[in-house]
Amino acid sequence: MVDKVVELPVTIEIPVGPQHPALHEPVLLKAYVDGETVVKVEVNTGYNHRGIEKLCEQNTFYKDIFIIGRVCGICNTVHTDVYVRALEQILGLEPNRRAKYLRVVAMELERIHSHMLINAVMAEVVGFDTLFMSIMLDREKVMKAKEILTGARVMADYMMVGGVRRDLSDADAGRIAKLVEQVRERLTYYKRVFEEDTTITKRLMGVGVLKRVDAVRHTLLGPVARGSGVRIDARVSDRYDAYDELQPEVVVRGEGDSWARMMVRWDEALVSAEIVLSALSKLPRDGSPVPDERKLPRKFPPGEAYTRVEAPRGELTYYVMSDGKANPYRVKIRTPSFTNIVNSAFLYEGYTIADLPVILASLDPCISCMERAVITDLRTGERRTVPFTQLSRGDKAWRGRGFYLL
Amino acid sequence: MARPRLLPAVVRSLLGRPSTVQYPYVKTEVEAAYRGRHYADLKKCTGCSLCAIECPADAIAMTQIPAHLEAPKSNPRRVYPKIDYGRCVFCYRCVTVCPFDAYVTTNFYGMAGPRENTSEQLSLGTLERVV
Repeated sequence: MVDKVVELPVTIEIPVGPQHPALHEPVLLKAYVDGETVVKVEVNTGYNHRGIEKLCEQNTFYKDIFIIGRVCGICNTVHTDVYVRALEQILGLEPNRRAKYLRVVAMELERIHSHMLINAVMAEVVGFDTLFMSIMLDREKVMKAKEILTGARVMADYMMVGGVRRDLSDADAGRIAKLVEQVRERLTYYKRVFEEDTTITKRLMGVGVLKRVDAVRHTLLGPVARGSGVRIDARVSDRYDAYDELQPEVVVRGEGDSWARMMVRWDEALVSAEIVLSALSKLPRDGSPVPDERKLPRKFPPGEAYTRVEAPRGELTYYVMSDGKANPYRVKIRTPSFTNIVNSAFLYEGYTIADLPVILASLDPCISCMERAVITDLRTGERRTVPFTQLSRGDKAWRGRGFYLL
Repeated sequence: MARPRLLPAVVRSLLGRPSTVQYPYVKTEVEAAYRGRHYADLKKCTGCSLCAIECPADAIAMTQIPAHLEAPKSNPRRVYPKIDYGRCVFCYRCVTVCPFDAYVTTNFYGMAGPRENTSEQLSLGTLERVV
């Protein structure tokens, strides 16, 4: 005769990703769920390793400027800017004011389109595809402005040691200003949509609440931290390039949920539009901002530099070390996405499975920023990079137990 | 209610022309200074190989100029940079480091295709045949 029933709680493991978890980039969120509620999330990365840091050590300082730009497509000008400033520190070079202003214009245009992109993706994640299409259409205006300034829509290749790679004529400055003014109008409109639309507010408000203390404890950066009330912005604390004159207003919100993070991005995009307009209106005329790349120093003295920049996703730091040879001895990249994604697994706990992509998208992950691979042979201590084609082929030579991914 | 605010935009999009550009049937307008297809003008090129050394994508191979073409005297080794547009990242590093400003830049971007796409025809077209 049975007189007792034992009920065992069942936790199911659900893989979210690595194919298209919320964005079109490979990352695996291994979610353990109890019914609909997420109880634990493990973040698995490593699907996008390219060995960029090692590649930088194998190429010259100048070639690296273009390799660094390919760490991340969305924020390529900030990556190259921070690397180029590290090289300038090692060389003791200082670009002129006009070059610094033009760098700021390029970086702020990039911030606008990056923030528009993630907000569009967020609209798509919550099932609001019309808004996604609408934002992406207006984002094209920023891409056009970037094309006028740098010569390409996405891959700017704009920064060079001692300045920028092309000057801006007054007529083109006027065209960019016109485009940015149009975009500013649309940004105000989208901000209002995010504030008032019920689809957005129902899906975002109160989801993925991040307390201020947790944001600091887990070293979260950029709009994620600012959405939780942490006043952190490298543009204000470091005042690199022309930010000493064009001081941005730091947008901080206290709510700490996914909605606050997206609103911080809209406000920041508006601030960026203001910075672009004010920079274009008072572009200094202290000579050509374009250095002659044929006359730049070929030899780098031994030395090291550590620079940081406020990327659209947060503080991005580079450490560059030169030992006096043609190639850098070490290039260390610490991207904001890395800390924001890897350290934020605790954010998902207690929310439902449907909230998982929303929280991930609200962190604005840039997976390609995070992944750089080196293969180390534990037996011989030999370190080498492996081409991605070889990784995908599943070559037996490296699949042995003697290797691990850094 | 806030939702009807989006309705005018939706109706306008429904009635208006689509924003999508039907590439390749319709060309996308790009800037005159857009970084597009570039090639070496072999009348100016001296075959110094600096662009091939500096290319971050390793897309430039120094290649022999065929015997039926007349190479300038300033190019004694008779080599020219052949750009593989499939590898090229269009950073224009070669254009900016060239000591003789030998590169011709265009804003042509329609280079996608199944066949091998290099600057061979364009570069060799700048030279005249030996008579």
